[in-house]
Amino acid sequence: MNGNEAVARGAFEAGVKVASGFPGTPSTEVMDYTKYRYPDIYCEWSTNEKVGLEVAIGASFAGYRSFAVMKTVGLHVAADALGGAAGSQINGGLVLVVGDDVGRIAGDDYNDVRHYGNMFNIPVLEPSDSQEAKDLMIKAFEISEEYSTPVILKITSVICKTTSGVSIDESATYKVKIKQKYKVSFSKVIMTTMMMNAKGSEHPKLTKCFNDFPAHMRRLAEDCNNFDINKLELKGKKIGVITAGTPYFYTTEVLPDASILKVGMVMPLPEKLIRELAAHVEKLYVIEDGHDIMEKNIKDLGIAVIGKELFPKFPEMMRFTPDIIEEKLVPDAPKRTLMDGIPFRLPVSCAGCSHLFISQILRNHKIKAAADVTCGLIGCFPHMESYSLQKCMGSSIALAHGYNVATDHKENFVAMIGDGGFWATGINGLMNLIFNDSQSTTIIVDNSCLAMTGGQHIASSEFGFNYKPENKLEIAKVCEAIGVKDIVTVDAYEFENLEKAILNAVNSNTNSVVIVQKPCVTKFKLPKSDIYQIDQDLCTQCRKCINIGCLAIESKKGKDGKVEIVINEDLCVGCGLCSTACKFDAINS
Amino acid sequence: MQDTGKNIIIAGVGGQGILLFSNLLSKYYMKLGYELKISDVIGLGQRGGGVESHFRYSNKPVLSPFIKSGDVDYLLSFEQTETLRYLHCLKDDGIVFTSTFELSTSSVNTRLEKDMPESKTELIKRSGKKTFIIDPEENKSPDFDISKMMNIVMLAIYAEFRGYPHEEMIEIVRESVPAKFIEGNIKAYEKGVEIARAFAL
Ligand SMILES: Cc1ncc(C[n+]2csc(CCOP(=O)(O)OP(=O)(O)O)c2C)c(N)n1
Ligand code: SF4
Ligand code: SF4
Ligand code: SF4
Repeated sequence: MNGNEAVARGAFEAGVKVASGFPGTPSTEVMDYTKYRYPDIYCEWSTNEKVGLEVAIGASFAGYRSFAVMKTVGLHVAADALGGAAGSQINGGLVLVVGDDVGRIAGDDYNDVRHYGNMFNIPVLEPSDSQEAKDLMIKAFEISEEYSTPVILKITSVICKTTSGVSIDESATYKVKIKQKYKVSFSKVIMTTMMMNAKGSEHPKLTKCFNDFPAHMRRLAEDCNNFDINKLELKGKKIGVITAGTPYFYTTEVLPDASILKVGMVMPLPEKLIRELAAHVEKLYVIEDGHDIMEKNIKDLGIAVIGKELFPKFPEMMRFTPDIIEEKLVPDAPKRTLMDGIPFRLPVSCAGCSHLFISQILRNHKIKAAADVTCGLIGCFPHMESYSLQKCMGSSIALAHGYNVATDHKENFVAMIGDGGFWATGINGLMNLIFNDSQSTTIIVDNSCLAMTGGQHIASSEFGFNYKPENKLEIAKVCEAIGVKDIVTVDAYEFENLEKAILNAVNSNTNSVVIVQKPCVTKFKLPKSDIYQIDQDLCTQCRKCINIGCLAIESKKGKDGKVEIVINEDLCVGCGLCSTACKFDAINS
Repeated sequence: MQDTGKNIIIAGVGGQGILLFSNLLSKYYMKLGYELKISDVIGLGQRGGGVESHFRYSNKPVLSPFIKSGDVDYLLSFEQTETLRYLHCLKDDGIVFTSTFELSTSSVNTRLEKDMPESKTELIKRSGKKTFIIDPEENKSPDFDISKMMNIVMLAIYAEFRGYPHEEMIEIVRESVPAKFIEGNIKAYEKGVEIARAFAL
C-alpha cells in the first residue's frame, strides 16, 4: 500500500463516518481510496478546504468520527475553521489529513503544516511509512476524543507516493463509532471570555460551555512520554538524533550506531524522552523534513541541539535524503555528483489543451493578464510568457480588479481562472468586482474538472461522488445572477471565435466573462482528429509554433545532426492550434 | 548464491508506463516473499515530466524509501536524458539498461538551455558502466506499438538477465493488464526476450 491507501484503510478501521476536503497533491488519493474501497464512509469533495473542514467539524459535533483531507496550502484557506475548532469541545474524533509537499515535488510553496500545531496548540502526528500511516490515522482519532482536540496527520509527498507493506486484518468489518460527550461546542473565544471575571462562573449554564483546553494539552504533553508511537532507541553515545517521518529511515540507514528518538507525534514533544537521550549522547542532532519546528521547540525546552546550522533549510534544502545526512555526519563517505549540462524538464501542457488557445491569443494581442492556480499557469513559464501575474488559488479575478482600479481601468488587465478555482473562492472575486463597479474581464476555463490535480469533479461537472443532473451548477447562469453584464460562451477549438470573444470582452467598457469550453483532453480522453505535420521545405525554423507550448512539438536533432522542428505523431491530437501560429504555411493536417 | 535484495532506479518520462512496470516487478518479488519499498516520485507538471521510481527489495526490512547515490544496482531507463540524470547513482559495478528513445526537453526546445553537444548514447556508453542499449526504432514490430510498450519489453529483458522464469512473468502481466491488451503485451514480452538473447545475456 502507498501512504494514501494506508490512511484510507486507517479511516475505515477507525470507523469514520464522514470524509470531506479538497484535492491537492500529494494527498488527493486519500479520498479516492476511501470512496472506492470503503463505501460505508460518506465522501464528498467540497467546494474548497474551508467548507470541507466545516463539514467535518459538523459531523464530529454530531458524534461521528470524521476527517478532512487537503494539502498544506489548502489548510491556509481552512485555517479560520481550524482556529474555531481548536480549543473547543470535540465529540466524534476530528482529524485533518494534510499533505505537505516536502521537496516541492508538486511544485507548490514549501509550507510546513506543523506551524499550525504551534499556532493553535493542537497535536500533529507524522508517519514514517505506510504501516504507520494507517496506525497513526487510528491513533489520531483516539487522541482527538481523549484530549478533546482536532488532530493533524501530516503526510508528505514521500509518504503518499511510497509503497510498503502494511499488515491488515482482512476480516475486519466496518463499525461506526459514536461519541456524544458534549451538548454544546463553542469556539474558545466565547467560553474563555465568559469565564473571565464573570460573577457566578460556577453556574452550570456557564460551566457546560467551558473547555479547559490548555489543561488537555498539558496532559497530552505529559502522557506522550509513554506513547508507543514515540520510540527511544539508546545505542552509541557519540551521536543522538531526534527525528520523525521518513527522515527516520534515512538516519537509521546512514547512522546504524546512533541513538535515536523517533517521534510519531511531532507536537507536543515528549520532553522526558528528549532529556533522556540528551543525557546519553555527546552530540544531539535533530533531523526533520520541512522547517526547523521541532528544533525550535526543543531549544525552547533549554536543550542544546544541532539542526539548521548543519543542515540548512529552505531554500537550499529541498528535502532530506540519505545523501545529505551522509555528507554531513559520515566524514569520509565517497562523493557522487550529477553529470554536468543535462537539460531540465520544464512542465509542458498536454497536446490539445484548451489553455494553450487562450495563452496564444493573449500573447498574440499583448493582452496583460493574471493566471490562477490551474493547468493554465504553465503559460507563466518563460517559454510562453502569456501571463504576468499569478498567485494563490482563486485569486486571479480580484488581482486583476485591483490592478484595474489602481490604473484607472486604462490597461484592461484580464483574469484567467479555471472552473475549479472559480467555484472554490474565485467567485467571491467576481461578486466583489460587480458591486464595486469594476469593468474587468474574466476568462473562465470550463474544462469540467479540476484538471491539474487529476480531474476531480466540481459543482459544474457532469459526474461526481454525489452527482445528480438536477444539482449541476451552470457557470453562465451563476455569473448572470451575480450581475455580470456581458457573458459569452465559446468552444476553445474555434480559434477565430474565441479570439473575437476575448477581444470584444477586453474592449467593452463593462464587466465581462468569457467562458471557454472544452473538456480536459487528458481526463476525458477526447478522440483524436487528423494529426498535423510540418513541411520541412517550408519551415524556416522561426520557432513560433514551439512557443505555443504544445508537448507534441519538438526541436530534434536528426541522425545527420541537423536540427528540425517536428510534430510528434504519437502525442498530437490534431487540435490545429500550431497551424494558426505558422506564418509560412508549413503546418498542415 | 541467494539473492538478498537489490536497489533499482526506474526512470523515464510521463506516459511510458513506469508505474505499471514497477507494479509488475513488485508482484514478482512479493510472490518470492521479499520486503519492498517503492517510491514513485513524479516530477512537477503534466505530460512530458521526468518520472523516477526507487525500487528496493530485500530479505530484511527495507529502511530508506530513497536509494543513496552509489547504492544502485540497476538503472532501468526508458529515456536517454533521464539515463544520464541517474548514472552517478550507480554502484561501481552497477548496470544500465536503457532505451535510446529521447523526448526533447522544453527548455531546449525553447532555447532556454543548450542541448548537450555530444550524443547521449555515446555518453552512456562511455560511462564506464556495463550497459545494455535498446533502440526502439530498430525493434519496431507490426504486432504492438513499441513506443507505448517499452515497459513490457524492458521487463522481459530484465527477467532474462536475472534468469527469472518467463512463464511466471507473463502470468503476472496477464493478471494485471486489461483483457484487450493482453495479446499485444505478450508480443512485446516475447520481443524483449528476443532482444535480450541477442545481447547474449
Ligand atoms: C488552496 C489550494 N487548494 C488546492 C490546491 C491544489 N490545486 C492546484 S491546481 C488545482 C485544480 C485547479 O482546477 P481548475 O481551477 O479547474 O483548473 P484546471 O487545472 O482544470 O485548468 C488544485 C485543486 C491549491 N494549489 N491551492
Ligand atoms: S490535464 Fe487537461 S487541463 Fe491540464 S494540461 Fe492536460 S489537457 Fe490541459
Ligand atoms: S512556426 Fe512554421 S516556420 Fe516557424 S518553426 Fe514552426 S513550422 Fe517552422
Ligand atoms: S495540432 Fe499542433 S498544437 Fe494541436 S496537438 Fe497537434 S501539434 Fe499540438
